[in-house]
Amino acid sequence: MAYSDKVLDHYQNPRNVGSLDKNDPNVGTGVVGAPECGDVMKLQIKVGDDGRIVDAKFKTYGCGSAIASSSLATEWLKGTSVDAAAQIKNTQIVEELSLPPVKIHCSVLAEDAIKAAIEDWRQKRAARTAETGARS
Amino acid sequence: MIHVPAPDPFTVFGLPRSLDVDERTLEARYLRLSRECHPDLHRASDTGDCIAVLQRSAEINDAWQVLRDPWRRARALLELLSPGVLDRTKKLDPAFLDEALELAEQVATAGAASAPALRARLQAALADDFAAVRADLQRGDHEAAARRLHASHYHRKALADLEAKS
Repeated sequence: MAYSDKVLDHYQNPRNVGSLDKNDPNVGTGVVGAPECGDVMKLQIKVGDDGRIVDAKFKTYGCGSAIASSSLATEWLKGTSVDAAAQIKNTQIVEELSLPPVKIHCSVLAEDAIKAAIEDWRQKRAARTAETGARS
Repeated sequence: MIHVPAPDPFTVFGLPRSLDVDERTLEARYLRLSRECHPDLHRASDTGDCIAVLQRSAEINDAWQVLRDPWRRARALLELLSPGVLDRTKKLDPAFLDEALELAEQVATAGAASAPALRARLQAALADDFAAVRADLQRGDHEAAARRLHASHYHRKALADLEAKS
């Protein structure tokens, strides 16, 4: 199976590889996996006070398509609002990277990782709000 | 053509549904079954017979491949005892996945000096996984067994990657 040029580009020069401090209250972390193929994807977002994603990092253990999907996701996430990020669909990733049917699950994994990271950030924020509410 | 679901491997071999299979019994049975159903020994009188013999022989070979591998045997047993359980348990604990990612990084950066210890650690993790699957099955906790089988994939993949490096 041949990878598309875009997949190869992200695979050879992955964007935003690395990690953010998962204990930072403004950082949301999502770790998801596909046990059939043994892939793991960790995606993190750092959200500013205005609800915009100021930074995004990923680490993926998996095939080229899984790496490219998460690399592309971090590119799209940076600078966008959390609400817009929550709307990102795996089909957009499939289209952008021209993923073949057997690799669609890689894009699903990336969507799941985005959602998990957002959920983690929202939970942290809710916990913080409850805390300040209880103190005042 | 009518689709007839293949009998489960334990039935094909006439063995009890159990994770523990005596390897010598298994092999002896495989040889006997294969002999009994060898296409050369069956001068099939008509095409129908011929197809039946071929189908039976394919079933025996498929069942053999599953039963001789303890991990595949465990998967087959779980699916028999609790159909769909492997599909229902695919979502693994994020803390475990985080560890799996860390292991993968260690494998990627392992050199000749650190590889043996890492290999021993991964082999031990796989042995632990299998022991846990056995204990979960004995307890009748099929979901826990399925989750542990999924988790073992990460250890097996990391080990394979490590071996591929050397």
